[in-house]
Amino acid sequence: MTIKPTIRHFTGAAIAAMIVAGSVNAVFAADKTIKIGALLPMSGPGSYFGAQDKQGIELALEQLNKSGVNGFKFEVQYEDSACSPLPATQAAKRLLEQYKPDVAIGEECSDATLAIMPIMEQAKVPFVNAGSSSIKITEPGNPWTFRIMPNEVMQGVDIATNAYKKLNARTAVLLYENTNAGIGNAKVFSETFTKLGGKILADIGFGRDVNDFTSIATRIAGVGKVDVIPTYTLEGQGLKITQALAQAGVTKGGGGQSIQLGTIWLPFGFEQKAGKAALGYVRIVQFDPTDKREIVRGFIQAFKAKYNQDPTHLHAHAYDQIILIADVVRRGAKDAQSIRDGLAATKGFSGVTGSVEFDKTNQNIKMDTIHYMETLPDLSWKAHGWN
Amino acid sequence: MLSVLLQQGINGIVVGSLYVLVALGLTLIYGVLVQINFAHADIVTLGAFAAYFFTFVLGGNYLASIAVALVVGAALGWLMNALIFAPLRNRGNELLPLIATIGVSIMLQNTMLAWFGPIPFAFDTPYSNDVIRVAGMFFTIQSVLIIVVSTATIGLLYAFMKFTFLGKALRAVSQDRETAGLMGINPNQLIMLTFVIASALAGMGGAMLGPVLVLTPFAGTSVIVKAFAIVIIGGFGNVEGTIIAGLLVGLIESYTTQFLDPGLIDIVVFALLLLTLALRPTGLIAEKREENV
Repeated sequence: MTIKPTIRHFTGAAIAAMIVAGSVNAVFAADKTIKIGALLPMSGPGSYFGAQDKQGIELALEQLNKSGVNGFKFEVQYEDSACSPLPATQAAKRLLEQYKPDVAIGEECSDATLAIMPIMEQAKVPFVNAGSSSIKITEPGNPWTFRIMPNEVMQGVDIATNAYKKLNARTAVLLYENTNAGIGNAKVFSETFTKLGGKILADIGFGRDVNDFTSIATRIAGVGKVDVIPTYTLEGQGLKITQALAQAGVTKGGGGQSIQLGTIWLPFGFEQKAGKAALGYVRIVQFDPTDKREIVRGFIQAFKAKYNQDPTHLHAHAYDQIILIADVVRRGAKDAQSIRDGLAATKGFSGVTGSVEFDKTNQNIKMDTIHYMETLPDLSWKAHGWN
Repeated sequence: MLSVLLQQGINGIVVGSLYVLVALGLTLIYGVLVQINFAHADIVTLGAFAAYFFTFVLGGNYLASIAVALVVGAALGWLMNALIFAPLRNRGNELLPLIATIGVSIMLQNTMLAWFGPIPFAFDTPYSNDVIRVAGMFFTIQSVLIIVVSTATIGLLYAFMKFTFLGKALRAVSQDRETAGLMGINPNQLIMLTFVIASALAGMGGAMLGPVLVLTPFAGTSVIVKAFAIVIIGGFGNVEGTIIAGLLVGLIESYTTQFLDPGLIDIVVFALLLLTLALRPTGLIAEKREENV
């Protein structure tokens, strides 16, 4: 059966609106399957990524498979890539050999994503990434890897610029985990901030095995007046850092003056876990739950109905990866090569997290996926609307 | 600057005390059985979760949860030895129990992952965020509690080993199991006692570590590597050496963070380990072999 797209340039918003409403009118019987391999951290310190990603993916699948897209249904095979290069490499090979996907999605951690990319390229399987920020993923670029989130340079430049111009910060201490993403993000912030006239008072990297951050907070308390503390780490260590900084009296949460700046890496609910220590924390999120767009409202409603909880940006960007693939299939893609070509030609796609349009390195160039939120005394968010 | 130095000293002692609680169990088991217990980390994690659920689900008191974690750890130690390690030891192959500890570790981690999920738990006790500020220094009530409980536990353990019949019997078994058996000591019962004490310490250590650690099913593994290093630096099976090495590692971490970089902590700690192996392969105070457990 020849599959021809009946509608070109369908946006994600249109797809989502229709699938949420359950009104996709399948012209063809959904007797073919697009096989999606999901390489996600399901174990280890980054496993909260995988757990939440899976919920977003399952919601998208449930909606899409009610009637299919262009005669195709969607199926996902999960493999644990563990947020780390070696298990990610093994998981990618296992996925390709045993499942033979048409397209793959994942990982969250940059080191793992970088390890997966050449394997997917060699197998000529398109690979959609939503959670890794390292610049190395799209510079110089890999024809088979597409990233829908802003890279570390886009994020870092934006955060540093807003810290300097909107928060009037002039001094900063960098805190980051010693990974590709942590080091890269901190470097970009440092370069942009100093170029604008700011000063970096301390540059502190740490391993993922560090548990107690009291010593680091003590050191920061001794470096003088610190305006902002950009922090690049996963949720668990992020919680401990925020609490230690407050206990040391450095940040607003502990009666100090410093503002901690956080990244897209942190899940929703972070502030509630950190408690009053998170007061004044400003961070970027990839998904704004107050967004009034129909696709966002529909997603939130469907997510709550399915899981009886509020969605986070991890749920949202995992959901977006699937509906982006569905959008490409709607535009006529039916195998790995045509999915790759369809992804590269994406324009005007509007997902839950924001818009998608890839440049020649397959990096999403749209900045409307970055939303700034400040933690208020009641631990709710105030949206700054800086982008 | 003096206050910063003192502050980092306090930080180091707090972390070091926690390491000692975990490492003591490892060194006890090694001293008696000449066996490394890879599942020790997971008993620490289970102890932390036991304390967490006792406090936040059952509404119990955090101080009582430390005792609960101790009991949970002791029960686990008894179960593991009775059901797995002792039968394997009886087959006469010393490698089997060692491999079994790896298997038990993986099984426990994945069971906890299935039960508790991968998302970090926020384990804040009533003492976690109460900060005392004195002379430019700060410490939480939780830190004070950690030092007090650790010191009391170490003191009790030391007294038990030094002055009680069972403690002396344990030391006898650790020095020569066969001869101890000829003297009327039942080595199997003492091995069970060792597992129970070591696991109780691990469980209690978990309750103390829970509010400090990033509490996930893998929490214990982040501490256990340091604990192994401490056991080696202190001398395998040497209680006093383990205490000194634990505090030393805690202090090294704090001062490395202050004057060098926290990213260099592992390099400094493991350089010390290599140095110890090269210069004093039997540990810091290995000459006191007769006092080994």
